[in-house]
Amino acid sequence: MTESSRSDGENAAESESGGTVDATDREMAAPDDGVATTDREVATDGGTASGIDARVSDLTAFLRDRPRLRTLSIAGPPYGILVFFFAIPLLAMLVVSFQADQIGGAWTLRNYTDFLTSETYLTVVWRTFLLSVQVTAIVAAVGYALAYSIVRFSRRTTLLLLLVILPFWTSYIIRMYAWINILQSDGVLDSILNLVGLPALSLLYTETAVLIGFTYVWLPLAVLPFYASLTNLDADLIEASKDLGAGPIRTFLSVTLPMTINGVITGVVLVFIPTFGSFITPRLLGGTNNVMIGMVIENQFKSAFNWPFGAAIGMVISVVVVALLVLATRLGGGLFGTGGETS
Amino acid sequence: MRKVTDGSTSLKRRRFLQGAATTGAAAAAGCLGGGGGGSDRVPMDVTEWPPEDLESNLNLWNWYDSWAEYAIDAFGEEFDVDVSNSGYSSADQWYSQLQAGNDEIDNIAATTNWVERSIENDFLHEIPVDVMPAWDNITDRIKEASSYQQDGSVYGVPESLVLYPLTYNDEYFDSAPDSWGVLWDEEHEGNLCMWDNATVSCQIAALYTGQDPIQPDDYDEIEEVLIQQKPLLQTYWGDYQQGMSLFVNEDVVAGPLTMGRTYTARFQEGAPVHYTAPQEGAMYTSDLFVIPQGAPNPIASLQFTNWASETENAAQLFETMGYQPAVDISDELSEEDAEFTNWPDEWDLVFSETLSDEVRSRYDEIWTAVKAA
Repeated sequence: MTESSRSDGENAAESESGGTVDATDREMAAPDDGVATTDREVATDGGTASGIDARVSDLTAFLRDRPRLRTLSIAGPPYGILVFFFAIPLLAMLVVSFQADQIGGAWTLRNYTDFLTSETYLTVVWRTFLLSVQVTAIVAAVGYALAYSIVRFSRRTTLLLLLVILPFWTSYIIRMYAWINILQSDGVLDSILNLVGLPALSLLYTETAVLIGFTYVWLPLAVLPFYASLTNLDADLIEASKDLGAGPIRTFLSVTLPMTINGVITGVVLVFIPTFGSFITPRLLGGTNNVMIGMVIENQFKSAFNWPFGAAIGMVISVVVVALLVLATRLGGGLFGTGGETS
Repeated sequence: MRKVTDGSTSLKRRRFLQGAATTGAAAAAGCLGGGGGGSDRVPMDVTEWPPEDLESNLNLWNWYDSWAEYAIDAFGEEFDVDVSNSGYSSADQWYSQLQAGNDEIDNIAATTNWVERSIENDFLHEIPVDVMPAWDNITDRIKEASSYQQDGSVYGVPESLVLYPLTYNDEYFDSAPDSWGVLWDEEHEGNLCMWDNATVSCQIAALYTGQDPIQPDDYDEIEEVLIQQKPLLQTYWGDYQQGMSLFVNEDVVAGPLTMGRTYTARFQEGAPVHYTAPQEGAMYTSDLFVIPQGAPNPIASLQFTNWASETENAAQLFETMGYQPAVDISDELSEEDAEFTNWPDEWDLVFSETLSDEVRSRYDEIWTAVKAA
């Protein structure tokens, strides 16, 4: 079966006879109209339905009579997974964050007061924020340009997208070690620079190395939503903008960017959040001045054994990051209108 | 909507809900896992050696990966036991499993301070060392140093000694540096490193400033000297491989590195490195074999612990990883290896006792402040 998107936005599908039947109609059709039993009748061998097919049909029919149960059976598992693997651990972390010294300790607010009144920790948070903003800005700029190029100037989009996501097939740690080899003194980069007669940079263990590492790691996460939003952009709108006298920059700022802002915001979220919590990249590529709050949290759990304090820092950071993103999203929407509506 | 009744069994509401409930319960059980599984037998049931009726499986958690590979084959073949190993990088990985109720791990190579915590929380089986022949192989030095007993009961068998020495480039230096002060010497600016580890780095600073690294009396001085040191360093290494690579690539000439990694760098990577314990002293700890409560194969684990403490098997720990085994293996080593493992009597070695919560917390605060400075 091939599905096509109709102008009214409803899904239609080719029936076995070649005509079109609305998906909704097929779902809601009465069993005795010959549609509901299609699944069983159209067995792969064209013969009788198997026992499993019969049971599936019975189950489908049973659920059809009970819309609330059907909704629960469809939505329940993913919500259950979210609750079990996300909400409950988060709640557990919240509870632990109010305990003193160790899990099961006395109830206290000290973990929060210690963190929020410490100039050291707040300095680390501020630095982490600045670095995350830098990384997000770089990734957004590079990623948007890359996605735009793929959509507008290339026919080999599948191949190019494959190349974009290819790094995901390699372990994060291995990729970081690759960058160590590239950026270290007399490494790949320095060797190439020497070949062309330029001085060596020895970028490893600098903030630049951290920025390069983060940009490389998160770029695919940003490119994919950018690409998705740019694909949905109607090229006629750009042409219309030009016809009305707008230059490339004006067209980009008044048409392209507002129409793809939802994809941009998604990409920004996907980059900003993991950067804020990162600890491996700055540890491997950064020098002595690249401590991030993720490293502090990791240390509380793995070295200091102060899980409650680590949990408290984690909770504060979670709240801060979510608040920042909500603010940025609203600000983004305010700057560029509703954005992303292609109707 | 009408129910389809095509001759097949119609699905009754109650039956459907029962099935759903059963599936849900099974899924929940699968997710939650079982806590506190294990065998009916415990190691202390063994009163004569060798123990009889070994289980057919053994699940190790040993972070000496290369040695574990040797052990899987050698022990498995000798005792007809199917051995597996889960290498780990951080002790909290197995400790959290013990907290949750172990039903998987049979034998862990655990660092002393984590062993102490495990003993305090009753996570470990007592071990009948009196009936284990290989117990006599463990050197007195490590028997006296390690913390593996409580109220006369033994909960671990020492596996190795882990020294935190000063590693240095022996082509750059004419002789071994005799002080931690080399890490504060401006002459070597940009060619030094420190370990991104609050305890290790603060203890080095404590030794450098003449303080007791277990119970220092001037935290401000420790923080001050670590901040002073910062501009001289190339980086704080956080990963053992990264630390070793700094010396192999000759990016640094001196800094803290474990003895095992120094051995690997010297003999397997050909790097011009050696190690020493400066005159102010150096810290060392030990790793021990422990058998956690809930171990499904405790008797096989006990047999393994004894087997691993036999001289030839302990010697393999050094041959493969470069760490000093808890057993005297001097007769098994080449002259070069024997020289490398020799810790001169004049070295002032301080056993890394478990720090008090206050000291650990202060070290952690200092280290965060130093890195943020």
